[in-house]
Amino acid sequence: MSDVRDYMVRTMNSVTTDDSIRKAIILMYRSEQSVLPVVDHQNLFVGTIYSNNILKNIIPESFGFLDSSRLFYEVNEAVENLKYVKDEKVEKYMSRNRDAVKEDSDMKKLADIMLNNKESVLFVINDQGFLRGFIERSNLLYYLLDQTGVQTAAKE
Amino acid sequence: MITTVTLNPAIDREYFVDKNEVMKNQFIYDDEDLKIYPGGKGLISAINFKSLGYQDVQNIGFVGGKQGLFFEKMVQKQNIISNYIYTESEIRNNVKIIGRDPATYTQYNDYTYQVEKEEVKELIVRFKRSISESNCILISGSVPEGVDFDIYQRLIKIAKEKGKHVFLQASGEALKLALKSKPDIVTPYFKHHKTILDMEINDKEDYIKAGKEIQKRGAKRVMIPFHCDRLLFDKNGDVYQLSPRGYCIVNWLGSSDAYNTGYLDYAFQTEKFDFLEANRHGGAAALWIAENKEIYLQNREDYNSYLDRLEINKLEV
Repeated sequence: MSDVRDYMVRTMNSVTTDDSIRKAIILMYRSEQSVLPVVDHQNLFVGTIYSNNILKNIIPESFGFLDSSRLFYEVNEAVENLKYVKDEKVEKYMSRNRDAVKEDSDMKKLADIMLNNKESVLFVINDQGFLRGFIERSNLLYYLLDQTGVQTAAKE
Repeated sequence: MITTVTLNPAIDREYFVDKNEVMKNQFIYDDEDLKIYPGGKGLISAINFKSLGYQDVQNIGFVGGKQGLFFEKMVQKQNIISNYIYTESEIRNNVKIIGRDPATYTQYNDYTYQVEKEEVKELIVRFKRSISESNCILISGSVPEGVDFDIYQRLIKIAKEKGKHVFLQASGEALKLALKSKPDIVTPYFKHHKTILDMEINDKEDYIKAGKEIQKRGAKRVMIPFHCDRLLFDKNGDVYQLSPRGYCIVNWLGSSDAYNTGYLDYAFQTEKFDFLEANRHGGAAALWIAENKEIYLQNREDYNSYLDRLEINKLEV
């Protein structure tokens, strides 16, 4: 049996509820992660902030339907909106979902959670709820690839 | 959770060549001759703790740019929890060229790394929330450009306010200021100049004077490297000298980090702490590294077999 801890990425990269959106954007850009965990002041996991959520809030009407003739206008509007949004708190734009997985969870269960929730990234916590890192689809696929080797070896 | 702090990490690249010659192109085909690993005092100790079986070990500090992300991947590969503030500036790269015949060692130390004030502010905030699960914090190494020398003083103050034990390995001005926050254990190291607290260090008396001064300024216990020995300053004022017997040093890199790991591992594992025994474990770990061409510890059994090669004598001061 393989645990999440065997395939996860260990990192405390995170923001808090009272951090600004500007800070979250800079962190997303520098760490190359478009989804970040939100923690409290003790590092307990409280939710998730998605870059998609921020985008939806700065281009509210046409997100997903950008047409090239309106692109310039939309981008300008987004820039104008971001001027206000960037100083607002993460708390306002985060999802307070609790779909984190425990580091000792079975990898088989992870596939279920990930596919049912359509999440590309799940944050990993310990038994007390402290952040430990994340696991994404590529980690799940790598686990499955490992399993093909295990099954082949078992057949031989 | 064990927390180590590395503010000035680097990607260390070692190239092994037959002969290191100026103006000559070298070609490296064997991957044994090219080693790339994440460097930084606190980080090496973190990797050691992981080898000794500790489940959760985190390393807090700065990393920068695309190479910083590469550095972080190397850290995560060691199963260390990375806890980094991403800076605009690229992380350092240290290059070491090692010639076999004649034996030469040429090192290019990169001091270009620059940290912005906002990034320092962010580190303080991150540190504050990240130490909640740790009882002991190991702060070790140099301070990058752009970070004020009072950084260790600030970090230690936060840790002490939360009731944590602090082990500090530092030098120069950063060490001097850090003492104001009263770290529990201090081990100075020499960087460019052989001075401690602005005092010239030449003979044994100078070392003893410096150790006592560090205690006077706030540290409970002090260990100072003294050639291949260590001078140990217990909190009751006693001074000891720890010496290895019959040794053959082939490598310095990683030995002081192993010392810190061995010392703290003993402290974590025992119910009845003994300062001299902790140092004997530290010394054994350092000796194992120094004699084995390794940077990281592999397990306790290796260096425990070196324990009886260390003797400790009380000094009359």
